[in-house]
Amino acid sequence: MSHPSEPASGGPPTLDDALVGEAVLGVYRQMFAALARDSGAVVDDPELVDVAETLLAAFADAGEDGLSREQMRYVCRRYPAEVFENRLRVLRGLGAVREVFPKPNQLRYRASFTSVVGLMFVRRMMLDGGQSEMHRLLALEQLNVADPRMTPEQARDGAAGLARAFRLWSVELLTLTNGTIEELREQAPKLWGTEEILRRAERLHGAILRRWPQLDRACTDLRTAIYAYGDASRRAAARLSDSAGTTRNLTLLPPETWRTFARTASRDDLAAVLEGFVFDAPAPWHEPSAVVQAVEDGPRATPPRPAPPRPSVPDPGLSDDTGGDATAAERLRAVAEQALRGRDRVAVQDVLAQDWVTARRLLADLSSAHLHPELPYRLVWADGLDVRPEGAPTWISPGVFERTDA
Amino acid sequence: MTEPSVDPGVLARARARALGAPAQPVSEPVPAGLTTASDGERLWLLPAWPDGATPALLEEYDTAPMPMDRSGQARRVLAAALRCCWTRLDDAPWPGEAVPVPAVLEVYGGMSRGDAELARRWATGELRRLSDTGWLLLDESAGVVRPGPRVALWHDDALGPLRDLLRRLPEPPQGVLAGE
Repeated sequence: MSHPSEPASGGPPTLDDALVGEAVLGVYRQMFAALARDSGAVVDDPELVDVAETLLAAFADAGEDGLSREQMRYVCRRYPAEVFENRLRVLRGLGAVREVFPKPNQLRYRASFTSVVGLMFVRRMMLDGGQSEMHRLLALEQLNVADPRMTPEQARDGAAGLARAFRLWSVELLTLTNGTIEELREQAPKLWGTEEILRRAERLHGAILRRWPQLDRACTDLRTAIYAYGDASRRAAARLSDSAGTTRNLTLLPPETWRTFARTASRDDLAAVLEGFVFDAPAPWHEPSAVVQAVEDGPRATPPRPAPPRPSVPDPGLSDDTGGDATAAERLRAVAEQALRGRDRVAVQDVLAQDWVTARRLLADLSSAHLHPELPYRLVWADGLDVRPEGAPTWISPGVFERTDA
Repeated sequence: MTEPSVDPGVLARARARALGAPAQPVSEPVPAGLTTASDGERLWLLPAWPDGATPALLEEYDTAPMPMDRSGQARRVLAAALRCCWTRLDDAPWPGEAVPVPAVLEVYGGMSRGDAELARRWATGELRRLSDTGWLLLDESAGVVRPGPRVALWHDDALGPLRDLLRRLPEPPQGVLAGE
């Protein structure tokens, strides 16, 4: 990454070259040290990259003195100790963080410039994906082609690398086009802005061919790869927009695409979107109870007069059994007269000579008549107790029920 | 739009729904799936809901009804209008009677507090909005208002509290009712 041509040759073609030289391999190790989980594998947790980024930022602030181990730990205090130790070991192992002087028991460390640039590249790839990196590669290659120091071999390598990238890209798009629509939608950002990439790639292709006509074989490869990519992306986009149109699933296309459509479409196109839909006229509903509620809640000219309390269930009306005083007195008078049968007094035990269920009700009525202040009857009990083992009340005190002179 | 393939009944129903509660002569055919309210000459096409439900059911399902600005005020004006138009409270509110708009404004002014002139202006706006949505029939040139066809959608057994309320409301002034 430290040379302008590095990104262009960072793809597969020069990886073979890189393998021969240990120095170049060292650059790769440093570049991807931020991504390494241990010296042999790539991280599986994005937080591990954050640790590396925090550390590198701290190194940038520290200046030429570097940082001691304690300072590094302090900077990374947000992360658990074992995560930090693991990171530091890996970063040191890959050369992203190294001692200021290569001496034993060295306490101060400095960071490698290449690792920072590599991390920037990685971050950019995370943010924009490979597509914008493709834009940058094309722009850089364009610059390289115009560079007078460029050799035909370098140009051929660059064209071959780009052709390979475009082929892989179109293979991916074809797989997506034949896959499920959900997957296609998820990967859809790969499809936006392809026109621009195609135009740049063709311009680059023209520039290479004009400067080095002997590279026509490599350029033919590049051209077919570009066209294949264009076809694949168009087909994927067509499938996406087809299904977006038929399902009316508005999330299949990004909001900006819909907005553009809404601004640029003709009136007929816009009307066709909702063809077959009927929208009800606005019709607010006023339930009678809501009208009542609104009036009662409203501001009033006069203070509110409380409504009489009403049960929420329907009122069945007055019950037959009113229990009014006059009615009860009349009933007791009738009972008493029936017990007396015209006489002025009657013995209680004679009246009660019935089954106990009836007799006790009668006794209760006679007691009530006795206690009623307006009824001229009286119960007078005598002393004594008659025990009657065979009788209905098994014992009874002799008494009389009599008419008073009221 | 040219739509020769659409069944005219379906089209008429769609038109009725899109227009709200449109009126048509009694002699016209009624599209299926709609209920009607008629005052003898004209027929209003109204939505029909299944199982006798009304949009008030939405509340039970925690579904927001159609949003409305100042619903309380609109309903108070509706109550004031019904107080004037629905004179025989034992009958159904539809079709009711046409009464002069000033009588309704007077009743509304008696219900509310504050600036009477402002209340009349608010009430005039609400009368127009209620007329737009079919709850009242406002004839501004004649200056009269009468209950709208949507009132006919009220179930009779839901009307008890409303009848009680209207009996409690102040009466419209007789002079205004007579047209003066």
